[in-house]
Amino acid sequence: MSRTWRVGLLSGLALAAAPAHAFIAYVSNEKSNTVSVIDTDSWTVTKTIKVGQRPRGIDFTRDGKFVMVAVGDDDTIQVIDAKTQSIVDSLPSGPDPELFAQDAAGKILYVANENDNTVTVIDLEKRARLGDIQVGVEPEGMTISPDGKMLINTSETTNMAHFIDTTSRQIVANVLVDARPRFAEFKHDASELWVSSEIGGTVSIIDPRKHEVIGKVTFEIPGLRKEAIQPVGIGMTRDDKTAFVALGPANRIAVVDVASRKVTKYLLVGQRVWHMAFTPDEKYLLTTNGVSNDVSVIDVAAQKVIKTIQVGELPWGITIAP
Amino acid sequence: MKVRIVTMAVLALAATGTAAHAADPRYPDWPCTQAKVPEISLAAVWAGPALDDVQTKWKDDAKVSALVSKLSARKTPLDEAEKSVKEFLAGSATDKTTNAKLLFAGLFETLNAQRAQVMIGLERVSRKQRDAADKIREETLALQALQGVTPRDEAKVEALSNELIWKTRIFEDRHKVVRFVCEVPTSIDQRLFALGRVIQQELE
Repeated sequence: MSRTWRVGLLSGLALAAAPAHAFIAYVSNEKSNTVSVIDTDSWTVTKTIKVGQRPRGIDFTRDGKFVMVAVGDDDTIQVIDAKTQSIVDSLPSGPDPELFAQDAAGKILYVANENDNTVTVIDLEKRARLGDIQVGVEPEGMTISPDGKMLINTSETTNMAHFIDTTSRQIVANVLVDARPRFAEFKHDASELWVSSEIGGTVSIIDPRKHEVIGKVTFEIPGLRKEAIQPVGIGMTRDDKTAFVALGPANRIAVVDVASRKVTKYLLVGQRVWHMAFTPDEKYLLTTNGVSNDVSVIDVAAQKVIKTIQVGELPWGITIAP
Repeated sequence: MKVRIVTMAVLALAATGTAAHAADPRYPDWPCTQAKVPEISLAAVWAGPALDDVQTKWKDDAKVSALVSKLSARKTPLDEAEKSVKEFLAGSATDKTTNAKLLFAGLFETLNAQRAQVMIGLERVSRKQRDAADKIREETLALQALQGVTPRDEAKVEALSNELIWKTRIFEDRHKVVRFVCEVPTSIDQRLFALGRVIQQELE
């Protein structure tokens, strides 16, 4: 490949990326029983969709055609058509589904049911229940390894990350972390699993092959009580260089250098920040702030909060069209 | 029939006794799902100018302290409170920054104190509930023992089951109230943050 040609190709790509792409974000509002639709061009709420009771976990299907939202008090997962922005179907979960994770292909959905200590496995194409995994403890955070072989389930009662083999559907390892583990996230290269502990105030870094804690991220914010630092959501850039950790009532997002596992910056967002999502171009990171009822927009490169958008009451989860 | 009700009540009690979330070992009496933050730190709610030089001076300013009481009262709707902040700051031209600092210092101190009171109350009720649960468990055992005796003293069984039903009802009512009151510290956080945000916006 000639050099000029390559340069030409690169600048062509840069040009194509230059116009600001508008993306669509969906936010579940736990208390108002709605989903807010945000346009990332105008940064405004363009629609509010009435959904079932207590919407929390929310995610786009991989093809970007549908948004799935767990409505815990209605014991189901509702499916929103992204084109018409209205509910078109529902998926068979167990009682009180809180959140879910899907495999890389978007074919299998694993649903954490808060009330009966099970994870429901759903075939997304057929929209049918394939079976249940007995996890024995109340499932809380959930994620899947990039190769789809391992399902991770964190439990508030055992303070562990449980590794579940997706083929045998059996727990194969348990790793003790700090108090009240809430969220788990793999590095994209699958070399590390990060687990946040809300009461422990830390993020444990686990070697997913050896099932060992190999490091911890700790947080310290001048002038802030330790109890206010409650890590929950974690977002990692695709190059695995930078992680963002939501710190709950510290009202901040910590920017963490993944290699050194050190916090480089704290960004003041809204109140009780829990979950987040990147725009597909990774230019922006949107966070849900449950107590101030808003979404903060972070410019990822500048590491700055550039906007606040009011949504419904108690915003919980967020997903952005791929 | 009554005995069955009591058994069911005790079962329900056992269920409510187990917290849905792992308890925070630092605060064994804390009854809420929301992890306890004993007081709001200034850094969590204020990114405006330093308040060191105003401290408690807000109390000496009659206008500010009257406004603080009004804005801190839960009966004042939040949007009305926000409007009052804007009006107050719009009306203070040259000393706007000082007034803003005084007002926020007052709100911070007052709302934090209000919040601490609620939290102390919650932990007190939580301790009371634990004692009540112990008592109910003891009396259930006593009742079961009474039921096993032949001949059975029906009057005594009846009296003790009535007593147990009553205690269980109080326990459950209190349990519901606690869940409701657990929202109060959060709504105070919300008010303080929202008012702080308006004050800071007015300064920009």
